[in-house]
Amino acid sequence: MATNFLPNNSTNKGHFIKDFSHPIWAARADKLQSLSGIMLGVFIVMHLHFESSILLGKEAFYHVVQFLEGGVFSESGHGYPLLTQIFSAFMLLVVIVHAVFALRRFPTQLGQWQALRKQMQFLPHEDTKIWFWQMVTGFGLFFMVPVHLFTMMLDPAIGPHLSAERVYYDNAWLLYVLLLPAVVVHAIFGLYRVCVKWGLVSQRFALLKLAKIIVAYLLVIGVASLIAYIVIGRSLELPIIPYVPMN
Amino acid sequence: MDSPRTIRFDIFRFDPQDPQDSPKMVTYEVTEAPGMTVFIALNMLREQQDPSLQFDFVCRAGICGSCAMVINGKPTLACRTLTANYPEGKITLMPLPGFELIGDLSVNTGKFMRELAERLQLWLQPNADVVNIHGLETPMDPEEAAKLYELERCVECGVCVSACATKQMRDTFVGAVGMMKIARFEMDSRDARSADDFYHVIGNQDGVFGCMTLLGCQDTCPKDLPHMQQIAYLRRKMAQTIPDSNRII
Repeated sequence: MATNFLPNNSTNKGHFIKDFSHPIWAARADKLQSLSGIMLGVFIVMHLHFESSILLGKEAFYHVVQFLEGGVFSESGHGYPLLTQIFSAFMLLVVIVHAVFALRRFPTQLGQWQALRKQMQFLPHEDTKIWFWQMVTGFGLFFMVPVHLFTMMLDPAIGPHLSAERVYYDNAWLLYVLLLPAVVVHAIFGLYRVCVKWGLVSQRFALLKLAKIIVAYLLVIGVASLIAYIVIGRSLELPIIPYVPMN
Repeated sequence: MDSPRTIRFDIFRFDPQDPQDSPKMVTYEVTEAPGMTVFIALNMLREQQDPSLQFDFVCRAGICGSCAMVINGKPTLACRTLTANYPEGKITLMPLPGFELIGDLSVNTGKFMRELAERLQLWLQPNADVVNIHGLETPMDPEEAAKLYELERCVECGVCVSACATKQMRDTFVGAVGMMKIARFEMDSRDARSADDFYHVIGNQDGVFGCMTLLGCQDTCPKDLPHMQQIAYLRRKMAQTIPDSNRII
């Protein structure tokens, strides 16, 4: 009988729902983790394509930057680097939301970690292995992403020469070479997991295959563009003069 | 005609009731016969070589779920696993992890399933005002009946529990079997429980919002049940529910 559950003698009230102890936060935590994850995942795919436009030449990257910084709205056509700072702060907020709600997934006790490792050795299973690497990369991103975002907030100098200076002369490549594989693996397999988790797709294995292809593709363009910035950086002499197209 | 193969079985042996005993792997050899299953081989071993070998079985046809064990790193049913599937002729058998060990390959899935059923109230709870046991039962829409039958196929073998790393990390997690059964009653038009009722049972970290979608359940279920779709369905359903905060469970 339905009455086996204890009687419902109360009503939902707004102030209860705002309280973190309200049971609705179990659902909200899951939704917010997925939503913030989708935002970050989609953003990273776009971000990698924008920065990889350097592979099409300095002028292509220059125009991408001018467009994204709102160049069409500025009289000089150079845009507003402030937009980069505001957007970086917003993304940091999204990262914090995502990290707060994703933390509940981490094996926080030694016993849980041992159980996970034992299970992976005992019963090899691909999706469990992928999740494990998502967790490991997520842990790394927890430290690396804020460094990248703070750099962008404090010094939003983006351009063919300015970015190359940061990558080569400021040794940012050391961060990017670790950040790139971690963020690509975490984001793409995260998007895959959100799709299967909420039942957005039924062709799971086809989606997993697509995710692997996208991971490989993003790694290729990411590494290639990083090399391009290093090559450009090596060809420049200090002090760096920002790139401006000839015409 | 080729002479039959000799299959080598490495089997986990341990009797927790015997204080002198310690866990070990014991090797046996069996001559393969056409169409031989791991279950048949285990019976031959017990009859011909070692009567003390413990393992469970009832139906021998993948219906009772008793003979679930870990075969070469994959939890599945021994009665539905052909020895011919292993070309190297080496088969390692372990008991299902995550359950109380009775002995050797035998685990107490029954105790687990009963506790789960009591905890989640896994039985039909009709509206008391509508039930009349002297009258004809209200007909069910065939489509709904087909959906329920699909979920009723669960044999409670425990494979999904063993294959779930989330369950191994968090003992209180209900696992795919619990969610599959909750989904079955949630879909049943005769069940009077509301979404709020179900939310208070599985709308938490031990229930549907604790599932990390590792999908070990989906990939190992010997009955090919749609765990992925059912858990996603429950997640969506529960995510749309605004639970009552003042209920005490």
